[in-house]
Amino acid sequence: MAGNVEPGTDQRRRTNDERAIPQNKHRSSFIVRPSSPILRRNIWRLLRLWKLYALLDFTFLLADLKLALTWYISDGIVNLASVTATLLLADRFAGIGAWGRYEVVFLLGYATVVSGLMNMFFGYNVLTISRRLGRGQLDHTLIQPQPIWLSLLTEGFMPFSGSPMLLPGIALLVWSASRLSLAITPGWLALLALNLAASSVVVLAFSFLWGSLAFWAPRAAEEISSSSIRLLYQLKGFPLDGLGSLLLSGMLTVLPVGFVAWYPCRALLGLDPLAWSRWITPLAALSFAIVTSWIFRKGMRYYGSTGSQRYSSLGHRG
Amino acid sequence: MTKLLHKYWKTAAMAASSYVGDSPLFLIDYLLRLLRVIVLLSIWRTILAGKGTVSGMTLDAVLTYTLVAEVFAAQLSPRTTLDEVFWNGTIVGRLLQPLGIFGQFSADMFGRWLFEFSVFSVPLLLFAPLLGVSALPAGAGAAGLFVLSLALAISVGLAIEFVFGGLLVLLQLPHWAVSQVRGAITTLLSGAIVPLALLPQGVGAAFAWMPFASMASAPLQIYTGTGEPLELLALQVGWSIVLWPLAHWLWRVSRERMVAYGG
Repeated sequence: MAGNVEPGTDQRRRTNDERAIPQNKHRSSFIVRPSSPILRRNIWRLLRLWKLYALLDFTFLLADLKLALTWYISDGIVNLASVTATLLLADRFAGIGAWGRYEVVFLLGYATVVSGLMNMFFGYNVLTISRRLGRGQLDHTLIQPQPIWLSLLTEGFMPFSGSPMLLPGIALLVWSASRLSLAITPGWLALLALNLAASSVVVLAFSFLWGSLAFWAPRAAEEISSSSIRLLYQLKGFPLDGLGSLLLSGMLTVLPVGFVAWYPCRALLGLDPLAWSRWITPLAALSFAIVTSWIFRKGMRYYGSTGSQRYSSLGHRG
Repeated sequence: MTKLLHKYWKTAAMAASSYVGDSPLFLIDYLLRLLRVIVLLSIWRTILAGKGTVSGMTLDAVLTYTLVAEVFAAQLSPRTTLDEVFWNGTIVGRLLQPLGIFGQFSADMFGRWLFEFSVFSVPLLLFAPLLGVSALPAGAGAAGLFVLSLALAISVGLAIEFVFGGLLVLLQLPHWAVSQVRGAITTLLSGAIVPLALLPQGVGAAFAWMPFASMASAPLQIYTGTGEPLELLALQVGWSIVLWPLAHWLWRVSRERMVAYGG
């Protein structure tokens, strides 16, 4: 019972003071030193935490089978609906622009796998980080005795409840690949995996980039990550070849929809004449990650000096 | 009556002004929507380039259809905050208000529309020529019938909203799952993104008979002159007649079973 009692004002202030992490502490939590034993320890911890969260996710599913089934079915329907329109269009017009029917299926499969990976690794509002920031819930992460990047990489891991989107995506990829005359070699598969990871990083970086606004405007920007993700996802399944050069440049920089699926698929399917096109998406992911990391760190410094006025004892918006 | 209308108006005004309470960042949402419509227009130009008239729709008609669908996006897929208040428990406060439950949620929704319409919809209509799209209806008659069809579309959409609200309570379903499924199904089946006529023929024809098609496809077809207005209006009226009594009945049997916590 004692744990439920609200601390006195003085106690609360002291607790908050302890939680306020100095600037250099924030910085150190982001820096990864490749040769340090700390990194090895963190990677080991990362794997252990993933195992732990996987177990928790499995337990959560088994705790209420009706609820689990509802989520599985609803996710399946949402996923099916999100690709059906494009699939039907591709079927009706035997492809879209320069893309043949099965190339469009490959694009949809790729896009679905990216969404599935995001769902699986960054659930519980980690992907929509502006919600956590806007609601004052970052403090829950900051008080944990581990670097913040480790918390954000593991807290949202839900391999079982997050899989309804991943599995159909893989099925679409396999189906389309079997219909296309692709030379599938171990090298090509490695490039596919690399590009999928890079596309996922682009989505995550973009969400965090916009979501960082919630450090400065927690209420107004609380849903900005979900808006930006929604836009990426709404357009991810369309071939963007017909866009003008200005708009296309924007779709690969300011609003990187093109890197979610279109550009990597173009490269992997050999539709892009550039020999090094397969490396563009990983390079873009690296650039986005650097920019986002810088902005997010600035936000963290600001947060370190102000905290969140929306934090309450329930850790919810005020 | 005037007093009652005043109460609904105040509810709508509060909802409209709630957008600007904190900072102008909410405008980014509209900017993202503008980008979406620009991309969709480009995609249609790619798909239909050199194809002439497809299933009675020219490229120009499809572009107008897409633009008008975005202008009236909120009206073609009406959503109140009903499921949200079930989730966060504020339904308790709503039930204490001296207003009908359907009326107050609808007034709240109309208020949000007022704001969105002035900030996004009207500017998008005005700037349509810059996007290379004619935002004009197929004719004066089409414009008049569109207004009627839009009103019926809102009626069907609201009825579906309250049907889903009743089912949420009755079946004790998780509101996020139901909301997501509903959003995804509505987008696909209503024809708001892809005109039903451009889907494979059997599929489009089957979707056209569903209530979701009365929410978006019907008014948009009338606006662009690509559908039979009387047939479409009759179907909309039919779905309104079927769905509203169902919504009332569901609400009546489910309100006693409502369990609210949170808030």
